[in-house]
Amino acid sequence: MTGLDTEVLVIGSGAGGATTARALAEAGRTVHVVEEGPWLEPGEAAPFSLAEMDRAYRHRGSSAAMGRPPIAYAEGRCVGGSTEINSGLWARLPRSLVDTWRTTLGLEDLTAEDLGKVEDRIESWVAVNPLPGAAPPSSAALVRGADALGWRHEEFPRAFAYDASGRGTKQSMSRTLLPEALRLGATVRADTYVSELLIDRGRAWGARLRTTHPDGVEDLQIRAEHVFVCGGAVQSPALLQRSGLRRRPIGRGLRMHPTLKVAAQFPTAVDHDEVPVHRITEFAPELAIGGSASRRGQVGLALADSGVDVHDLGAAWDRVFVYYAAIKSDRGGRVVAVPGLRAPVVTYPISDADLSRLARGLVLLGEALLAAGAEALYPSIEDAPVATSVADLGAWWDAIDRRRASLMSVHLTSSIGMSHDPARTGADAHGRVWGIDGLRVNDASLLPDAPGVNPQAGVMAIALRNVDHFLAQGR
Amino acid sequence: MTDAAALPRTMVITGATGWLGQNLVRAVAPERERVRCLVRTPEEAALLAVVGTSVDPVIGDVRDPDALDRLLDGAADATVVHTAAVIHPTTGTRELFDVNVGGTQLVVDRVRRRGAGRLIHVSSNSPFGANPGPDHRFTEDSPRHPYMGYGRSKAEAEDIVLAAHERGHLEAVVLRPPWFYGPYQPERQTRWLRAVRRNRFPMVGDGSNRRSMVFTGNLVHAVLRAEQVQAAAGRAYWIADGPPPTMLEVIDTVRAALDAEGFAPAGGPRPRFPRAVGDVAERVDGFLQARGRYSQVLHVLGELKDTIACDTTRAEIELGYQPATTLLDGMRASIRWCVDRGIAL
Repeated sequence: MTGLDTEVLVIGSGAGGATTARALAEAGRTVHVVEEGPWLEPGEAAPFSLAEMDRAYRHRGSSAAMGRPPIAYAEGRCVGGSTEINSGLWARLPRSLVDTWRTTLGLEDLTAEDLGKVEDRIESWVAVNPLPGAAPPSSAALVRGADALGWRHEEFPRAFAYDASGRGTKQSMSRTLLPEALRLGATVRADTYVSELLIDRGRAWGARLRTTHPDGVEDLQIRAEHVFVCGGAVQSPALLQRSGLRRRPIGRGLRMHPTLKVAAQFPTAVDHDEVPVHRITEFAPELAIGGSASRRGQVGLALADSGVDVHDLGAAWDRVFVYYAAIKSDRGGRVVAVPGLRAPVVTYPISDADLSRLARGLVLLGEALLAAGAEALYPSIEDAPVATSVADLGAWWDAIDRRRASLMSVHLTSSIGMSHDPARTGADAHGRVWGIDGLRVNDASLLPDAPGVNPQAGVMAIALRNVDHFLAQGR
Repeated sequence: MTDAAALPRTMVITGATGWLGQNLVRAVAPERERVRCLVRTPEEAALLAVVGTSVDPVIGDVRDPDALDRLLDGAADATVVHTAAVIHPTTGTRELFDVNVGGTQLVVDRVRRRGAGRLIHVSSNSPFGANPGPDHRFTEDSPRHPYMGYGRSKAEAEDIVLAAHERGHLEAVVLRPPWFYGPYQPERQTRWLRAVRRNRFPMVGDGSNRRSMVFTGNLVHAVLRAEQVQAAAGRAYWIADGPPPTMLEVIDTVRAALDAEGFAPAGGPRPRFPRAVGDVAERVDGFLQARGRYSQVLHVLGELKDTIACDTTRAEIELGYQPATTLLDGMRASIRWCVDRGIAL
């Protein structure tokens, strides 16, 4: 077994890990980033294509949380993590939520003002822009539907840079913070799985790694003065548990935004290259309505979920686009690392109130899409009636049950948590794992709750805040 | 305090065949041009149609956007009284949220879009839970402690209504009645009267806990005041008969009412459960509800030990609310209603 030494080991290269690495490298620290997935060449796979699912997603994009109903979810597994596969939609943490977190979790220094400064810095590192020019038809449909019903809607900017011709490039971590971290002297080791953290007498001092090369595997041990775990809300608690840290809050309180989809057929062709940038915010934060990635594969999946014969719509697929209703749910799920299994077991309870909220979201989404001119709506519920007018929507309430609804989610957060209370969260108010020196978590698993919006901006802001705190401590 | 302008000629009522709904329809039918009633079945429509020519039933589900379109069609400027809700679900706790939250959201959205007049939302004591002690009274500013699934669903519904008011989407008044009684009572209330008559209704604890109650006639009066008083817009009000009686006084009054109407109650010692029985019932009820299941017996048993008492001062001052019927008179009216219907006590 080979050995390596570094000052700071960052495990994971997504929104949390890349932010941590870049900020620490800038402060002159020696940073070593390890990433389980591969380093993908920019443009290697088209966004939301099947080729991308194969290379950039964990389990080819089809992980599932167990429960009734189970929830399919997607995680990035590549250099840049989920920032490589998401839509790039950018939303600062809602301030009302931040206020609640500060007052109920003893996060005294999490003020709107300080957070704003951190967010400004991040947005100077990552270009955040609204869509130039007119919205594509898929996005405009949300605006049209909401306007017809008098509902609030909002255009979200994205982490996208645009050239003079208006062509956009997503500012994923592999294109922004990670190259900058490399330039500042950091090292990034891809294809490297961390089997466990090395912890001795209450101090983390490194990790055991396995790097996969084209010609075989290499096991090595890395020593570090400081370890930042940034594997995301599923992998981070699982790694802590594999390393013997099985204290109760670790792996508890997992949050996601359970989502139901509707495939909407319009009279004319719609775009399929982009994710809509508009969202109906009338019912936020409990309920969000927006558009999903709708390449041919996703359209096919959504139609298959509704139980409709996909072949019937074969010729019409370019007129179909997938929309969603997503909720904030009542109760948190769990992540449990099971000895002998590489993938942790994820469970997520859906309460009756959650299921009802999803049904309400679907009915409201149906109204908006019909008001926008959709001809037929196919909800992701087995054998649910296809809706062609408002009169058909009422039947959806009873069609949605635990057996027939096909739920999915992105935006996994909160499986470790941060607060001033070791009984409630796995980490302290700045991401230090309770009871272990030299060990920090700095990713989506720290967010105290599902944010109700795309979490990337919030994950990065919290991560940078915690790095600032680490550096201010003179560590 | 009262708007001098004439009342809207149309009133729209959801939950029109419910306990409050039936009383309200009968109170307003003679004086309005039209009383648009949401009912679930043709049988219910026929039941209400006999009340008067102004009654105009619309058949549909409060969760159905199309039914609400029909309900509010041509009802611009009408007062909308939203009483539809599920309190004791029959298929599981999901119903509470579908109807109480989902239905309210759709009603609120359609009232705004149709430009209907004031929305009077009938809420509950349940978002507030139980008082911390027998001498405590809920006011409109008391903190919320939603009791179980029903309480959570009614709290979320209130939030939707008041948020819509704050955003200028509509003009809303929220009324919070506790336990009601009166004519057109559901079967469960008749069973309760029978149990009291037979001296089989158990006291949980020593019976010194207090319970605010409201006679349906008093509640109808409150709805009409909430419709008329301009300054009530955006406000919530507790509505009850008056100062809360103790549970012992409630039972004794019901017994006196039965006696006065010729149904002599059975004597003997009062059946009692120790308070702990109520605590256990509450816990089991919570356990079941977390799994989507609902037992009415456990739910009611779990609540009997508590003081659920409110202060109606704000309604008296701001709405000019003056409850005319006392517990004794209201219970006698309920008993006479049963007799008129041939319902055995």
